[in-house]
Amino acid sequence: MNMLGRAEFGVSTFYAASHPNDKCGPNGLPLTPNSIKVLGRFQYLTTIEHPWLCRYIDIAKSKHERMLVVTEYYKTTLQSQLESGKYSRYHSHCLSVIDGLSYLHSKGITHHNLSTDNILLQTDTDIKLAEYGMYYMTDWGADVNFPIGLPQYMAPEIVCSGPVEIDDETEDSLQPEIGPKVDTWSLGIILLELILKRQLWRDISLPEVLQKLLNLINSEMSPLDFLANEEGFSDQLKTLSKDLLDLLRFCLTLAPSRRPTAEELKKHTIFREERQRMTPHKNGFTMCTMKLRCKDLELPSYDDEIYDPDHLSQRGMAEVYYLWQLAGGELEAVLKKAGMVKTQPPVNLLPCCGIPDGDMFGQERDKAELLDRTVVILPQEQLRNRLKDIEERAYYPLLEDEYADNSQLPTSPSSCDLTMTASLPLVIREKDVEYQFHRIILYERLLRAYPYKRPNIWKEARVDIPPLNRAHVWAALLEVEGDIENIYSSIDKETPIPTDRQIEVDIPRCHQYHELLSSPTAHAKFKRLLKAWVVSNPQYVYWQGLDSLCAPFLALNFNHEGHSFCSSLLPIACLSRFIPKYLNKFFLKDNSPIIQEYLAVFAHLIAFHDPELSNHLDGIGFIPDLYAIPWFLTMYAHVFPMHKILHLWDTLLLGNSSFPLCIGVAILYQLRDRLLSFGFNECILLFSDMPEIDIEKCVQDSIKIFCSTPKSATYRQHACKPRKQKNDDRPNVSYYSRDYNEQPQNDLSMEPIAIEELKAEKCPRISAEDMIELGEFLGAPLSRSPTKKRANSKPMIIIVDVRSADEFRKGMVQGSINIPFMTAFSPEGELCPCPAVTTLNSRRSQVIVVVGNRGRNASNFANELVRLNYSRVCVLHRGIDILKTTGLLTVAPADI
Amino acid sequence: MPKSVEKDFVFNFSSRGLSSRLTVPVTIPLRSSAAEFEVKDFASVEKKDAEHAFPKVYHTLIHSPALETLLNLEHIYALSMENLTQQRDRDLRRLEEKHQLEMEEALQHVGENFKDDDINVLAQRHFDNMQMVEAKWAKELSELREEQKREYHDWVHRVYEDTQTASTPPYVNRMRNVTTALPAAEDEERQVQLSRLEESFTIHLGAQMKTTHNLRLLCTHVMDLCRHKPHTVGGIVVPQPQRLQTAMSLYSNSLCGLILLVDNRLNSYTGIKREFAAVCEQSTDFHFPDLAQQLSAVETALTQASTVRASRQQQQQQETDSSSVHSSGSNSSGSSENQDKSMGARLHTGDFYLTKHSNLSEVHVVFHLVVDENVRTGDITSRHPAILSIRNIIRLCFRYDIQTLTIPLLLTHEMTEEMTIPWCLKRAELLFKCVKGFMIEMATYSSLVSRTIQFLVPRGMSEEMFAQISNMLPGIFRLSNPLVVKST
Repeated sequence: MNMLGRAEFGVSTFYAASHPNDKCGPNGLPLTPNSIKVLGRFQYLTTIEHPWLCRYIDIAKSKHERMLVVTEYYKTTLQSQLESGKYSRYHSHCLSVIDGLSYLHSKGITHHNLSTDNILLQTDTDIKLAEYGMYYMTDWGADVNFPIGLPQYMAPEIVCSGPVEIDDETEDSLQPEIGPKVDTWSLGIILLELILKRQLWRDISLPEVLQKLLNLINSEMSPLDFLANEEGFSDQLKTLSKDLLDLLRFCLTLAPSRRPTAEELKKHTIFREERQRMTPHKNGFTMCTMKLRCKDLELPSYDDEIYDPDHLSQRGMAEVYYLWQLAGGELEAVLKKAGMVKTQPPVNLLPCCGIPDGDMFGQERDKAELLDRTVVILPQEQLRNRLKDIEERAYYPLLEDEYADNSQLPTSPSSCDLTMTASLPLVIREKDVEYQFHRIILYERLLRAYPYKRPNIWKEARVDIPPLNRAHVWAALLEVEGDIENIYSSIDKETPIPTDRQIEVDIPRCHQYHELLSSPTAHAKFKRLLKAWVVSNPQYVYWQGLDSLCAPFLALNFNHEGHSFCSSLLPIACLSRFIPKYLNKFFLKDNSPIIQEYLAVFAHLIAFHDPELSNHLDGIGFIPDLYAIPWFLTMYAHVFPMHKILHLWDTLLLGNSSFPLCIGVAILYQLRDRLLSFGFNECILLFSDMPEIDIEKCVQDSIKIFCSTPKSATYRQHACKPRKQKNDDRPNVSYYSRDYNEQPQNDLSMEPIAIEELKAEKCPRISAEDMIELGEFLGAPLSRSPTKKRANSKPMIIIVDVRSADEFRKGMVQGSINIPFMTAFSPEGELCPCPAVTTLNSRRSQVIVVVGNRGRNASNFANELVRLNYSRVCVLHRGIDILKTTGLLTVAPADI
Repeated sequence: MPKSVEKDFVFNFSSRGLSSRLTVPVTIPLRSSAAEFEVKDFASVEKKDAEHAFPKVYHTLIHSPALETLLNLEHIYALSMENLTQQRDRDLRRLEEKHQLEMEEALQHVGENFKDDDINVLAQRHFDNMQMVEAKWAKELSELREEQKREYHDWVHRVYEDTQTASTPPYVNRMRNVTTALPAAEDEERQVQLSRLEESFTIHLGAQMKTTHNLRLLCTHVMDLCRHKPHTVGGIVVPQPQRLQTAMSLYSNSLCGLILLVDNRLNSYTGIKREFAAVCEQSTDFHFPDLAQQLSAVETALTQASTVRASRQQQQQQETDSSSVHSSGSNSSGSSENQDKSMGARLHTGDFYLTKHSNLSEVHVVFHLVVDENVRTGDITSRHPAILSIRNIIRLCFRYDIQTLTIPLLLTHEMTEEMTIPWCLKRAELLFKCVKGFMIEMATYSSLVSRTIQFLVPRGMSEEMFAQISNMLPGIFRLSNPLVVKST
């Protein structure tokens, strides 16, 4: 985590070049807008972390290809220092710049934009390089119309190579990327300026600068001598030390091949002393690592002098920026206030004619698109005002205490507000700055203690997950742990494999409305991720839909400041935990038995909760196979937009492998009225393009459905098998997270059922075990059933025995009613009235367990009940026989 | 000749005290150590700024209490303009009648008092007379227009300066008095003239991420969207409410566009073009050049377009030539070149030109889309140039914040005998589907702004057919979730 410290946030803006007309790429799709490309490439910059470099924090795209970039910023620049004339620290600063540059170069980034006005002074002694990502994020200048870097500092080879050219076919820059050595030249010029205490070539026009640069190139003299001659500082040069002069000459070498790299400069004799004092740079916290995280921990000693009352400055930059946005901060408004957004009204920018090929004519160039290098500081007052009432303690919540005294949220003067906030809809909570503040700090602490604090993370996640921490919370919920770097970085993601073609076809169709996911960078990541999964799971194949499944993980880990190297590996690690949990065996080459079973169970669940709808859909032949396969195969990632998937999965990840089925039923609930009135064709049409679904309601409904479904009713033989060794660190409080399959099996548990049998039945089966528990036949309730007990404990179930009256009298479950199947229904298909039926009708809200012999009578009876719109009907698996060993059967009292 | 590359190097130095912007077109011979630089200064920045100030000033005023005053002023100007055009029309009509009478009389006495030559001379004189009077009127009109425009601009600037200084400008109260003094509306004036058949839909587009848009099916004459209808309150002509709407959104990010189908001659002499020109002339456009000037600008741009088109054709020709083993020989290229030259800046089917207006009723931007007779009669496919052009127009709308676009659904402004019900339905389906596709395509990378598309069908369509077309729409577009109110 990079602390905010004294840093400001600076926002700068530029226009990406817009494509002249709608050309298509080699794949037949329209060209990606440059702004999207920049957006994708930018994400890598957020991972750059170094003491001499400003952090890149965020990028946003606004209308008409305008980009807004947020970075760490300081008001003092080297240039302003130079102008004020009291500057003498060039020696140590120079080494810092070199160190920063060499780090950038090692990360594959060329600065290309170095000048005195983007070397910022954090304190008097420490510098920070800014604007170093411009060249990288614009694909080495290809995505913008303006040159990057000031001509005064441009290395000769930049001018000679001319402007950037772009290949029409591949959209890539044709230019050989100009190497990192251009930065050495710029450094040379800057060093010279610092020594001379004045700026070179500053008061002359741009063409003159370029002219002088050309003269320099063509001159016989060495560049330094040429400059000395031109600018008349030969005398000053003579007073310099030999080492310094040597360094200058070294930097200002005309031929790039002989010019040193930043790494080589570091070794220059002039820096010998400083080099020894430099400490190697360490990157911050990583979530999953095998290294000892406390190795370098030094407990801070309490010292009044270093005590800083500005607690916000101790928080991470990304975090503060996120809160800044929540507190009403808007980049464009800030820019507008600074007069940086001078757009013309669109009516004045229109062209005056066009031809069918798509070309337009008679347009004026919008002057606003020219580059303005000003950086505007984001005012933090609003945020600080919002947070000023928060107690100091809230910045450092104590995890242990808090859980001991069971208070849900940290106390603050407005704590009552917070508990109230917690009951508001999720979308409102996510916009509440104070609430998010507490949540973020809490999660940040918990995640640092992961995996030790996993139970607490589970508990908190049931309340909600703040968007800022979501990527890591998900990883925690999926129990990603261990040395993921070692496991996943060794996977071969490059060698072509047969599925490459399909992957390449699918990626440009997957969640492309999402700005990040539609960028070429994301496409490349997508491909690596999918290939990595396919290669590392040889027993599985690539099925279409896997791409959608990857998208949420990719989008999440793209979005936020990754914990450096972890970020590229987290998606694959999450995916590799997600698929076995929810989609076990779905990606087998022959996955039809698995899907068939899944759909059959889904059909049962619909009948269980909504017999009327089930009857209607069955009647018109609209079976789940026709619409629900993409739902389950992608865990709804294919049918919802990203922001809804995230909210849905927040809950889904807390549930067990049956939970997705309940979501399916909840979706049908929302469309119920329409489905009931529709015929087959209209239903097909309705689902061909998923209608808008209220996702929060869907989540709430599916939780309700889940809670009112006996666990064994959603039993699937293909669900994942229990993992062998299991350390009990997940809280046992949650009926939610437990998987039925992970429980110990016994005689009374559910068993695999043949698929034909499943399909023939309309109702789910309940295991004897579940029935005993729900009926509380054994007194003390186990914590295995999802169904919550109410205080005034009425029985949850009503048992309907459909055997003949004789058999019933010989041995029955206590409290059960007897409706013999043979005589139960009238010729019209209605239930023949009798006292037992009256009892049944009076207890319709309860789960009806139909108990029969081994034959089909019980399930047929249940089917009839469903036909008559009785809800919550299920059949006891293996009939009455299974209860014989339990001693629950009693002989009926004679008077019935 | 060395191969060279050119590109503008553009710098904006406003941040560093140097206020000038520079464009440096650079010509650099490739792979050569010596580089040449051509330098050009961007000098006219200052002048342009003054010109660009007006939109901002106007936009501020129209969203201030000065709004009413501004509109009334525009209205008064419009009335005097209308007055003058009416006079002109009367005058011309009288002259025409007079000429006709004279001519008839002359023709009756041919051979007696008049010889054939005399008739010719008379005709010539009539023609000259007519031209002279027309020219006189045109001059008068343009003078009035210029004067109004100048006055208006001055006035706007002055009021703007007033609002910047004074707290409550006096004109506000004055104009308030004027408006409140209006007599009460009479009953017949309260009646809304229902000449339009109209139906609206709210739709969702997109598979995962959905955007909401509005569609409207509209049956009226296309000029009704442009022409200001006389609107009276208690016998006094007052500005139409639509005028307010148009004025307030003129420099905003929600413009209204209209596709007008025209033939391939760039003038305003015949048919719908003449009607449109007449509507434009009714009042002075205070913001944009008048129609004739805009058309001449279009003409200049068209020459540019034709060179692009020619070079593209040539390229295609070359490609087909090289693939077809040079069978046709060299004579074809010569003739095609001649053809290109003679065509000059002509309009082709599917081209469009664009005019901007501030004085029309519900429209700011008019796309004049060139179509030919084929469109009216024959069957067309989605690859027809007119359809491709509609795609480009929609793209333009997305790019430049034109939030409402009116498209002639049948690609014609008149109902004719040949337009049978199946033909109409087929055409409507084609347009619906194409527009849906284009909208999905354009929405890919743009923000989630909802837009309004108005499908216009010609007046004279039967209500039955209108209903049929409107029934077709929900099958093609996904309507947004209906809100079902339940009694229980």
